[in-house]
Amino acid sequence: MNYKHNIAGVVAGLVLSGSVLANPYEEYKGTTLVVNFPAHPHYDAVRKVLPEFTKETGIIVEVDQLQYLKMREKQTLEMTKSKGDYDLLAYVVFSKADYVYADQLENLARYFMNPKLANPAYDPADLIDGYVANIGVAGGKKGYMDGPTGSLFGLPFGAETSILGYRKDIFEKHNLKVPETYDELLELACKIPELEPGMGGLASRAASGHQASHAFLLHLAPLGGRIFDDEWNPIVNNEAGVAAAEALKTIVNCGPEGSKTFNFAEAGASFLQGNTAMFLDSTVFAGSVNNPDKSTIVGKVGWAPHPMGTRKGSQTGGFGIGIPKNAQNKEAAFLLMQWLTSKEADKMIALAGGNPSRYSTHADADVNAKFPHMAVFGEALKDADPDWRPIIPVWGKINADLGTELSRVLTEDLDIKEALDGVAQRATAIMEEAGYYTWK
Amino acid sequence: MSTQAKRLTPYLFMAPAAVVLVVALLYPIAYMIYASFLDWNPSQRIGEATFVGLRNYSNLWSDANFRESLSVTLKFAALVVSIEMILGVGLAMLLDRKIRGMTVLRTIFILPMMIAPIVVGLIWRYMYHPTVGIFNRTLNNLGFESVPWLSDSFWSLTSVIIADVWQWTPFIFILSLAALQSLPSSAIEASRIDGATGWQQIIYIKLPLMMPVLIVTLLLRLIDAFKVLEVILVMTNGGPGLSTEILSLRIARTASEFRELGVAAAMSNYLLILLMLLTAIMFTYNRLAEARNARLRQAAEEG
Repeated sequence: MNYKHNIAGVVAGLVLSGSVLANPYEEYKGTTLVVNFPAHPHYDAVRKVLPEFTKETGIIVEVDQLQYLKMREKQTLEMTKSKGDYDLLAYVVFSKADYVYADQLENLARYFMNPKLANPAYDPADLIDGYVANIGVAGGKKGYMDGPTGSLFGLPFGAETSILGYRKDIFEKHNLKVPETYDELLELACKIPELEPGMGGLASRAASGHQASHAFLLHLAPLGGRIFDDEWNPIVNNEAGVAAAEALKTIVNCGPEGSKTFNFAEAGASFLQGNTAMFLDSTVFAGSVNNPDKSTIVGKVGWAPHPMGTRKGSQTGGFGIGIPKNAQNKEAAFLLMQWLTSKEADKMIALAGGNPSRYSTHADADVNAKFPHMAVFGEALKDADPDWRPIIPVWGKINADLGTELSRVLTEDLDIKEALDGVAQRATAIMEEAGYYTWK
Repeated sequence: MSTQAKRLTPYLFMAPAAVVLVVALLYPIAYMIYASFLDWNPSQRIGEATFVGLRNYSNLWSDANFRESLSVTLKFAALVVSIEMILGVGLAMLLDRKIRGMTVLRTIFILPMMIAPIVVGLIWRYMYHPTVGIFNRTLNNLGFESVPWLSDSFWSLTSVIIADVWQWTPFIFILSLAALQSLPSSAIEASRIDGATGWQQIIYIKLPLMMPVLIVTLLLRLIDAFKVLEVILVMTNGGPGLSTEILSLRIARTASEFRELGVAAAMSNYLLILLMLLTAIMFTYNRLAEARNARLRQAAEEG
């Protein structure tokens, strides 16, 4: 033991002295990188780990942390300058389309090809495929997906998927089975309020706009639907679309009181306050469940994969990191990016409360000892659907329209088919104007 | 030469102010007007945007969501400003007397105005909360049904109006009170000697004399009501459906969510035109009313 310890000390000493063993970071020692991160539990964890990077490499990192909805505005401003202040930035997944299309993100190929920069031990196959396809790659299938023509512009970092949280105590009390399919889920969602008066079945977001649309999309992919077919024709109003909207309506109607206007935080709070028996949304939420400051249900929550409809398809989203075209320290930024998403750092960040990007971290024994839900998340991630929502520049507009109409379905009893037909019709016009039917 | 120099002197002194005016005021407006003719997304510099002429304006007219948003704005502004004017002026009339501790009272009255809009939005959002909000809890305790404050299109607009009235009535109150207290006491005394009742005093003496101040107050409030953003953003974010999506919220969403800066600029210009029209109408009305009064006074003096 002692012997081993000594060896490690000697090796570390050699690495630090830098003269005997090669140090790939040597050239960049003393560089200061400015990075833009969102205020988000994952990035809070990252900040705890960052000093390790500086200690190991001598590269200093300054973090500009912003509210995540404010980031895009600031980043757009920075990236249209001739010399940007950010060397590395975290982007929300739907910014990928805009940034890549505006040629504002570095293609990562030339960095991974550079033998002085790329670490052979990086193991990219260990990165979660759904995340990489959804957040990192553009130029493949449909333009925004992976595929033979795609290339890598970013790496998933602080990504998340959907997961089902349920109250173990309530399920045990009434001898309920954890739902594996949508039929079971919907039946249970409405059965729970009968079994436990005053308690909602499933807490879902439903507020007008992005929130309602997000909740609908969560059900659309597993129920076999898509927003567009392969030729960009809106098919949101087909059978699967109607089924997804009906599922959302059932869930909201059997949900806790007031759920028609819940946003993500309110839906989460309803679950944390013990007013609802199930929660189906982002994995980022898992961190608060066992935090006694926020939660009254510490230790009572079990996790299961997103139930399946006609197929398995949990969401993929969250953040990725990329290097702006106008960054001033691109190579050092790449080194940071590679370090942050490496196996070692991914584990450190996970232990500090972040969302890991690698399969190995989800399966890691230490991580699971601290966060027992990680193994379930890792299993669920194998079915993560990178194409559960389109990532195209006009999506913002269609998304808002979809969310408004769904809110009307939920609060004003608008007919589902009629609402979705309207969305499809307006989406066609938007897509036409944006040039998606040029080849028709 | 010297006479010419003399003639130029005033312009010379005005020049700095004129330059400041052009740079600080007209340039941004001109920029916005120019932007409204562009197909411009925030990832582009303004020079890279395509010129599309009046397309943004004409597209907006056929956009049902924009029209709905416009009608919500008009409804909201009209209701809010009318209710606030009636309450504000009424309160001023009631409190226009020597009451002990009036300064304290006045400060308390104008408190809502001083709270940051985001906070106002949050406070009301929680008060309207379906289960833990004070309104529904009180209603339930009294044996009534819960009201869907923010989850029904009729109620959410009502809720937003209530919050705005709460916040901005004090503004009208404080200005009306100032106007009332600066009225010439001679006119009021004369009317009292002539045997006018309290109501008659209010209708024939006080209100007409306060009119110029009230018009300006109304105008300020109206302009503000067309531009409320934060309170509604926090309370309902425009929902449910589009029932509380007023124009300024739609403009903000168009710029940030839909990334169409040109369209957002065109919408702002529509709003600007609308406000300028309203201002012009109100000033014309005021001037006509004054002219009529002047004529009547002259006729009375001659007769």
